[in-house]
Amino acid sequence: MLDARIVKTRAGFTVDVRIQIGAGERLAIFGASGAGKSTILGCIAGLENPDAGEIRLGETKLFPPPLSLHRRPLAYLTQKNLLFPHLSVADNVGFGLANGAVAENSRWLAELRERLGLEAIWNNRAAKISGGESRRVALARMLARRPPLVLLDEPFVALDRPLIRDLIAALDEWQRRLGFILVAVDHRAEILTRLCPQVAAIERGRIIQQGDWNSLATAPATPGLARLLEIQ
Amino acid sequence: MSARWFKLLGMAAFTVALLYPLVGLGAHVGRWSWDGGVPGSTAGAVRVSIILTAIAMVIVIAAGTPVAWYLARSAGRDRVIWDAAVLISVLMPPLALGLLLSLAYGPASGLGGLLLRVGVPTSNSATAFVATQVYASVGYYIVAARAAIASVPHELEQTAALLGVAPVAVFRRVTFPLARLGLAAAVSIAWVRALGEFGAVIVTAYYPAGMPVQIWVNLQTAGMPAVMPLLIIFLLTALPLPWLIHLLVQSRDA
Repeated sequence: MLDARIVKTRAGFTVDVRIQIGAGERLAIFGASGAGKSTILGCIAGLENPDAGEIRLGETKLFPPPLSLHRRPLAYLTQKNLLFPHLSVADNVGFGLANGAVAENSRWLAELRERLGLEAIWNNRAAKISGGESRRVALARMLARRPPLVLLDEPFVALDRPLIRDLIAALDEWQRRLGFILVAVDHRAEILTRLCPQVAAIERGRIIQQGDWNSLATAPATPGLARLLEIQ
Repeated sequence: MSARWFKLLGMAAFTVALLYPLVGLGAHVGRWSWDGGVPGSTAGAVRVSIILTAIAMVIVIAAGTPVAWYLARSAGRDRVIWDAAVLISVLMPPLALGLLLSLAYGPASGLGGLLLRVGVPTSNSATAFVATQVYASVGYYIVAARAAIASVPHELEQTAALLGVAPVAVFRRVTFPLARLGLAAAVSIAWVRALGEFGAVIVTAYYPAGMPVQIWVNLQTAGMPAVMPLLIIFLLTALPLPWLIHLLVQSRDA
């Protein structure tokens, strides 16, 4: 279970949220740009520290004190792909696996490679592949370690619709099978509705409504949320 | 004359003037003397310079790289303070550095006396030679290495850490490969700075004589004929490595 209470002051407002997600569940964090969504993920991932609060993942306390990044049992797909340009696609995907673990996970890596269509570029340098390919590699790299918590920050930005559909289908299948907790943030409801049945809507750092997408659509808590849902 | 030709001509004139001192290598100074009257002095100076500078470089890299990494990744007032300290070492005039080192570490000082009692002579010794070279070059290494490390996006290091890789391994697997040419340039700058150090070394370590001190001694005792062979070796050990690294970096960025 992920249990996060996060207080973090941003320019103009304070993010103050409590998020609880059970094992194997998914939650979308939905809100306009600048509402504090990425701050929440950044605090859980450890890229920034909350001013106050507590974050636990199962028995592991992530904050406070801040647990070192490399000890956090989670994976974080940011808006940027951040592939290691000097390594091959294969080395990028296997980067987080210890030497012996690459062999142990060969079937899983083969599945990632095949499902995400990486065979043709598997031995190419990461610096030489396209944006869409980079996104698929970043996704494979994130999942290679089979983490218990997956954080997605606007995961499908600037990708074409068929690719988004494929990636959502793959993520959906792997989340069901591996049972990781999935937290996804985006300002586009059309992406999140297909990925997460449950949603927490956020405005200026506060959760203003939580439930399924239907409840949000039928009775949005604020005019701002109603407008954001109408736009989609 | 077109503007392009005017610029080319200007650059050519400047380059000729800049490299003109190399003409001196062909100057008639009389019959060259290998050792300036002291058998083995030239070979000894070359050996001292290369071996002790190599040892100094190991220390500079080991001590300077973590500092460069820290400076590259720190921000705000913290970085300004540490930067200022490093810059003092870079801006220190060599002769002043030598005198200060002599006063601070010399046998008459508390620390120097203590080191001497435990068998580490801090004046006119290999230790003094290496320590002076380290002081003279570590600031240059840190400034250049910091720029090389800062050119690697910190987000890549964070990504590697979030994949479960410990900090030292992140440096080895991500930061170092991406910054290696810049780090090599930093080493070459430090190498030239240390190898060519004269003003500080002549105060702290007249013995064992490295190439710069031996050149000066030869000049004083036997004139230019005794300087020329060592001067050529000096240039050959100092220039090619940094020059090639610079060309490599430039060609990569072109």
